[in-house]
Amino acid sequence: MSTGEAHKPPPYMLVWFGLFALTMAEVGYAFITALPKLALAVGLIVMAFYKAYLVAVYYMHLKWEPRRLWLMVAAPIPLIMILIFVVLNEIFVP
Amino acid sequence: MTTQAMTAGRAPMPGMKVYNLKLGMWIFLLSEVMFFTGLIGSYVILRFAHPDHFAEPGVVLNVPLTAFNTFLLICSSVTMVKAYAAIEQDDQQGLKNWLLATIVIGAGFVGVQVYEYIALAAEGFVPMADAYHAVGRHMPHDGPVVGGQLYGSTFYTMTGFHGAHVSIGVLCLCFTYWRAAKGAYSADNLGGVEIMGLYWHFVDLVWIILFTIVYLI
Amino acid sequence: MSTIEQEMVHAAEGGHHDHHELPFIRKYIFSTDHKMIAKQFMFVSLFFLVIGGLLATMMRWQLGYPGEPMPGGMILPDAMMAPTPDGAIMLPEFYNSLVTMHGTIMIFFAIMPLLVGLFGNLLIPLQIGAEDMAFPRLNMISFWLAVPAGILMLASFWVEGGAAGAGWTSYAPLSASGEWTGVYLGQQLWLASLTILGFSSLVGAVNYITTVINMRAPGMTWFRMPLATWALFITAILILLAIPVLAGALIMLLFDQTLGTGFFRPEVGGEPLLWQHLFWFFGHPEVYILILPAMGIASEVLSNRARKPIFGYHSMVLAIIGIGFLGWIVWGHHMFMSGMNPLLGTSFMISTMAIAVPSAIKTFNWLATIWKGDIHLDSPMLYALAFVSMFIIGGLSGIFMASTPVDIYIHDTYFIVAHIHYVLFGGSLFAIFAGITFWFPKMFGRLMNETLNKVHFGITIVLYNLVFWPMHNLGLQGMMRRIYDFTQYEYLAPLQPMNRFISISVFLLVAAQAVYAINFFWSIFRGEKAGNNPWNSNTLEWTVPSPPPHGNFPEMPVVYRGPYEYSAPESEEDFLPQTKPPSKKPPVQDPIPQPVTPTPEGF
Repeated sequence: MSTGEAHKPPPYMLVWFGLFALTMAEVGYAFITALPKLALAVGLIVMAFYKAYLVAVYYMHLKWEPRRLWLMVAAPIPLIMILIFVVLNEIFVP
Repeated sequence: MTTQAMTAGRAPMPGMKVYNLKLGMWIFLLSEVMFFTGLIGSYVILRFAHPDHFAEPGVVLNVPLTAFNTFLLICSSVTMVKAYAAIEQDDQQGLKNWLLATIVIGAGFVGVQVYEYIALAAEGFVPMADAYHAVGRHMPHDGPVVGGQLYGSTFYTMTGFHGAHVSIGVLCLCFTYWRAAKGAYSADNLGGVEIMGLYWHFVDLVWIILFTIVYLI
Repeated sequence: MSTIEQEMVHAAEGGHHDHHELPFIRKYIFSTDHKMIAKQFMFVSLFFLVIGGLLATMMRWQLGYPGEPMPGGMILPDAMMAPTPDGAIMLPEFYNSLVTMHGTIMIFFAIMPLLVGLFGNLLIPLQIGAEDMAFPRLNMISFWLAVPAGILMLASFWVEGGAAGAGWTSYAPLSASGEWTGVYLGQQLWLASLTILGFSSLVGAVNYITTVINMRAPGMTWFRMPLATWALFITAILILLAIPVLAGALIMLLFDQTLGTGFFRPEVGGEPLLWQHLFWFFGHPEVYILILPAMGIASEVLSNRARKPIFGYHSMVLAIIGIGFLGWIVWGHHMFMSGMNPLLGTSFMISTMAIAVPSAIKTFNWLATIWKGDIHLDSPMLYALAFVSMFIIGGLSGIFMASTPVDIYIHDTYFIVAHIHYVLFGGSLFAIFAGITFWFPKMFGRLMNETLNKVHFGITIVLYNLVFWPMHNLGLQGMMRRIYDFTQYEYLAPLQPMNRFISISVFLLVAAQAVYAINFFWSIFRGEKAGNNPWNSNTLEWTVPSPPPHGNFPEMPVVYRGPYEYSAPESEEDFLPQTKPPSKKPPVQDPIPQPVTPTPEGF
């Protein structure tokens, strides 16, 4: 078997429902005008990244892949933070 | 010479413990992460630098339509994963059916996006600086301009490149379907389907983040 | 058959083609064999190296003899040279194109494909004991994407407006709109060419990384890999993660030029500084891409020719990783004068000073490697020694630039040009000469002529220093980069004689390269025949015939030890190949513990 360790069938439909529910939640949350802009942005980003995490772990099978693959996949994350954080600083503290 | 003699019964070092095709696809996807980071990062930075160029969510862009489109793409990820589950069980017909469903839904996503582009352009929301005239939805076409030129530039570049990746994905899915129809895949030989799935889920993943950042914030 | 079994059968079948001879086109043109693809990269890149040198020669004519008619200039079109009764005089616009294209072609079409396309393709599968790359057809695509990229780049000289003229760094807003440079289509072709080339490099990187991770022969643990492979592996990771950011930036700039968007155009609300950040976020890892493989090659040659193990192998590996890692957080040192946030400038200064440390570790380790070695002073060794010494000079000038207050004074002067060329010519190019000479027998089954190489080395090292050392002084005296006629400034006019001296040295230097070229081509056909292992080296590529057959190894090799066991006590000879099984009877005092059986389960 070329797909890594054996495991029971992943909960695909449960994840699908979760993604659907989160999408609805996001759209609803985005239009709560009473919230300050920062809370809106942070909340939405958190929800989006959690959905992305679900897709990566369940649909892309990361959950059942060797730990070293997780490490490799995580590699660009510090680079993304560095690029965006440093250049944002450029604009906010002239 | 037999396989045994060629390799002298030896195996290479375990390495990443996943087969080459899968490792290669994951590595390629990491480069795609950096590509979209460059584009989305630029959007974030330009938005902080010139917030007056951009509009509140829903004013110019059609959020309900795109939310539906997001749901569509997520559904296509489900059909893709069902296709993979089918070939894991050696279900050739199931593989073909679910692949076809993924192709149809994926093409539908692209279609909706093309429609969205046409509608936006008709409202005057275009990427070019000199032709820019965004007025927002349900507003008079010759009304006051909402936002500035950066809005159109960044929007069309990000969503356009994502759309291009989806389109290429649909073409690759067609190729995978053609191979499946020829019986190229089986429970012991499903690498091609698996890496197709990885690419497709990745495209969905990028859209999940893109939709939130561009349409909802 | 499972996917893994399929791969093993493919490996078996790919191992030899005794069932049919490949047609000429499949063997030489659209080859999937990594060794042939390496040679393809080599020939095309050497061609571009010559082009880049010719462009520099023309630049130096203008700087050495400003405003004077250039010999042979009449054959160039009127867009580049203004015809006069005495001959053709270079136009300022053409000078800007020369500056831009010299940098672009040398970096992207000469040095990068030589280090990564040639040595990456040639060495990686051979040194780890694999029969080819993980994805041979993708490898072929990688080369055949680079070719149209090169054609586009060269074609840009002949379009209306000429070739790109905004510097190889293509800063916006100069590059975003043709009205400033007079270059329209040429700049767009430049962008398109680099985007295609980026894609070529990217798929190459995917191949190299997958191959090194997954296809090492049994016993070839990570810390038994040769340093050349380590360096190429880390370089491939840098390419993988940096090039896509450049691609995004190139595309946005292309849209600015063609679609009329305004990412980088301030007049419509864009941010020119964004271009600089994106470009240098790629640009700094790029310069490590240009030096790391050279460092790997130098380690191989120095260790082999001194008949001594590399000093501090583990620290060498960690230094390569350290450089690769730190290289992501220093890009701002190219932007100290851009008006960026001064606090950011300080943090970039600190990280840039820090990155000197791993490079210094490597330099000290090279010196310790050759210390009291049995030094064979033949041409690969001479080139490698030149690499170390010239790299030290280039690195030291880098320390000046790392310090922001100093850089304020020397930024965009010839001091920077001196630094660039000490690390790129003195560093990368000398390592390339060393590498080509060293692995020439493996590629062609013949050795290069030693005498001709020594002559080439002697002339090149002297002339090269005559060209680039004075540029440190020119820069400190205020001569700026990328300038068509610096004599228009009174305070710079006294620098004219030094510029003429440099130009004459350049003409001689470029002419002297003919010695290497003649040697190269002559030796392919008439060089002294080489056996499997003419350098008595330990690494796996020297255990197979020169050149290796398709599939490289008759059966999968087993590795028992690291690659630098030179002058080891266990061996009667002064080298001990990685694949030689340990003797059954352990010696009385065994200082290096060796596994009696191979351990393929190890990490």
